[in-house]
Amino acid sequence: MLMTEQNTQISSMSMSWTTLAVIVVIGIFSLFSLWMGFQALSSDKPEQSTYYLLTGTVGFSAIGYMFFRTKAVTTRKPDIPKVDVVTILECPACELKRVRDFKRGDYIYKDDEPCTRCEANMVITGIHRRAEPEKKPKK
Amino acid sequence: MINVILQVAQVLGGENSDIGMILQTLFSLSFIIYLFYAQRIQAMTMLRQVEVTLRKVKTIKDEGRRVAIEMVKEVGKPERDPTPDVDRFLEQFVISPVSMDPAGIMGKLDQLINVSDYTNEAEVKAIAPQATETEAHNIENLLGAAHALNYYYKAIRHFYLLGKKTMNVYIIMQIHMILPLIMKEIEATSAAIQAFRNGMPIGDGVGPLVVSKLMRGHESVDVARETVAAWVPYEGRTLILLKAKGPGGSVGKPGDGVAKILGDDKKEKKIKAVIMIDAAGKLEGEPVGEIAEGFGAAIGGVGVEKYKIEEAVKARNIPMYAIAIKQDISHVIAPLVEELYKATDTALESVKRIVTERTQEGDYVLVAGIGNTMGIAQ
Repeated sequence: MLMTEQNTQISSMSMSWTTLAVIVVIGIFSLFSLWMGFQALSSDKPEQSTYYLLTGTVGFSAIGYMFFRTKAVTTRKPDIPKVDVVTILECPACELKRVRDFKRGDYIYKDDEPCTRCEANMVITGIHRRAEPEKKPKK
Repeated sequence: MINVILQVAQVLGGENSDIGMILQTLFSLSFIIYLFYAQRIQAMTMLRQVEVTLRKVKTIKDEGRRVAIEMVKEVGKPERDPTPDVDRFLEQFVISPVSMDPAGIMGKLDQLINVSDYTNEAEVKAIAPQATETEAHNIENLLGAAHALNYYYKAIRHFYLLGKKTMNVYIIMQIHMILPLIMKEIEATSAAIQAFRNGMPIGDGVGPLVVSKLMRGHESVDVARETVAAWVPYEGRTLILLKAKGPGGSVGKPGDGVAKILGDDKKEKKIKAVIMIDAAGKLEGEPVGEIAEGFGAAIGGVGVEKYKIEEAVKARNIPMYAIAIKQDISHVIAPLVEELYKATDTALESVKRIVTERTQEGDYVLVAGIGNTMGIAQ
């Protein structure tokens, strides 16, 4: 059985109708709660306003978080790491050692460019990743 | 802040408070909902984590495919668009032989691997006619990495879609539990793309690198498919050095090479020991590049080459020593890290010490560097 790419797409990445409905309901509730809070402030029961204002703020924070999460999933593209690689060259005649960036076609024990000191051909003796700076340990 | 909390508590705790009653009802309702839907909520949370990972894997997989096509076009200069050929390669599969009757399975596996290797080699030559032998090997390795990424993606997607369809927590759990380990392997394979594209030495190449350090400046001959050997004198002994033929990406056929060399020596019986050097997976906490010495055939893979080596060594009844260069799974096919590069010198000293301590002058010692020799000549 062959599955086509079309019917196997990751469809739920975008915001679904259910999520949107939940957001709308929470939004209405939060808005109402804030309105009640401001009403209570000017009424004879100002102590109730704190609760209403708190509920409204929490509701809007939840909406913001939901939007943030959805956006993070749909638009953020992961980085594919690229590393720095160096080539080590040594002159067999005068033992001069040189390090340069890796070039495509380099391989260990390849006769490479002429030595800058004695003009003999330098040989690639090593290829490895450039050492990454050490991360400071968390205190 | 404390004042606010106190006020809220006062309001909620107040007798005959409407808000308190509403909250109580809401709390009870949410408890009942949670009682019935806890597993579904858990499934949804896990599914979301799988979904995020799947996105990431898709990006990496697409990048692998793109780089493979780009390299074929750039290096191979094909007359027609290689995209359909690359896509066909990415969907390739090998059916493992039946193992219910295991007798003779090694021969079947060997034949299967040979057919797959020769076919892939011919296909790469067809889609990249202008590529040199080294470049063709690197393309093969790159296509292999892209193939692996494609498979990882499809496997995760399978469980994701199946889980979404059934909302069965146990199906989702299967992939969710192993997701961190799979991601580690996927990230390692994604790092391989850069190495294979440019022909850089990789972590798995430490074995051939140690041997090439001893081999340098000596004549080497082909002893098996993509496998070379050189006879090098050392401290009154003769070292028979064996590695995959570089600098193109290849692991060669060390099993065939060892079997041939030991077979040729059947009458004279000069070879007194076999030393194998290979990369080995490190445990968490072990330093990268640590050298460990042991006994046995230090070689991975499906087991065919290991079987051939063990059979050949057993027939001669000679000791087989192993040197392992420890590395993390993320280093195996990624560009060689400095710690591993430096570790090859330590491993070389181990080889020399084993040779001088455990063999006599006049003896022959077979030293095999196992691994992918990409970016390492001889």
